[in-house]
Amino acid sequence: MLILAKAALGLGATVALAGAYVFHEGVIRVDVDENRMGGHHVHVWVPATVVPVGLHVVPRHNLEQAACQARPFLPALRQLSKELEKYPNVELVDVRSSTDHVHISVRDRKLYIDAVSGSDNVHVSFPAETISDVADRLEAMAPAI
Amino acid sequence: MNHRSRGCLGFTGSLLLFACALVPLPSFAQNATKTDQWIHVRVESKDDSGETVRVNVPIEMAAKVLPAIHHDQLQGGKVHISKGDLNDVDIRALLDAVRTAKDGEYVTVQGNDENVRVSKNAGYLYIHVQEKKHGEKPAKGVASKENKVEVKVPMKVVDALFSAGKDELDVVAALHALSSSGDTELVSVKDDENTVRVWIDSKNVSD
Repeated sequence: MLILAKAALGLGATVALAGAYVFHEGVIRVDVDENRMGGHHVHVWVPATVVPVGLHVVPRHNLEQAACQARPFLPALRQLSKELEKYPNVELVDVRSSTDHVHISVRDRKLYIDAVSGSDNVHVSFPAETISDVADRLEAMAPAI
Repeated sequence: MNHRSRGCLGFTGSLLLFACALVPLPSFAQNATKTDQWIHVRVESKDDSGETVRVNVPIEMAAKVLPAIHHDQLQGGKVHISKGDLNDVDIRALLDAVRTAKDGEYVTVQGNDENVRVSKNAGYLYIHVQEKKHGEKPAKGVASKENKVEVKVPMKVVDALFSAGKDELDVVAALHALSSSGDTELVSVKDDENTVRVWIDSKNVSD
């Protein structure tokens, strides 16, 4: 009984630590709601830690293609990520019309992009740090000039 | 200490460790200070859609991100301008003349369509353009519907902007100069359809 309890405690602590590690960089959240006939509803919550791992799984040629297209902006993205961390709570862009609303802000070091257009809603949020991780990975994949 | 209390202690320790891991660590990143200057852009449409655009960007952030962009005419924070865009006008000579001249009104054009005034006063360069509307006489007591553009730029920002090569505008140097020039309204455009304001202050939200 005691051995079982110890094993359970060890397992519990390991799971807790693993969970804490996986979520320590925050969560990437994507919510897409197309409120019309046949519209899609996508709700994804992914720990930001898995992004670098996930990029390793993406087919190499797709990543190289993306890296080529994004290359001129990668240093800027990395710098942006670094700078955004200095501004933990700011409202960067707000565009409103009678039907649409686009809002880009940083809250608690997470970048929020919210777009509401008629019946469609898109809400994306991710830690600012993730931008740098993705830029690093893409830069590593970009073919040398 | 018996086995049960040791187990309890271990479990509590694990919980505490888990809780600590979830609590965000104090950031070592340098947070924005109160003295940071922000550039604000606000566009308000007067039509039925009531469109509004609000952009707030920390000047320091823009000054650090821009040099990292190398795309088309924007290279390392400098915008290349072709000679054609300048119509062979020697902007540097023009600015030198304005800088060394005393405060006053340099250009006044009063035309049928618009009035243009360019002046310098207390370290600021002012450009005022007032477009006239024909055939629309405002009723008595009603403000005339004129399109107005007012630009007010600190001279040191203009100097910084043209401090790069002959055919280049140094946007980053201009941003640095802007950040040290205090709260000021840079651009104001008012017409029948839109109002546009670009200003600088230390608030991180537009008022």
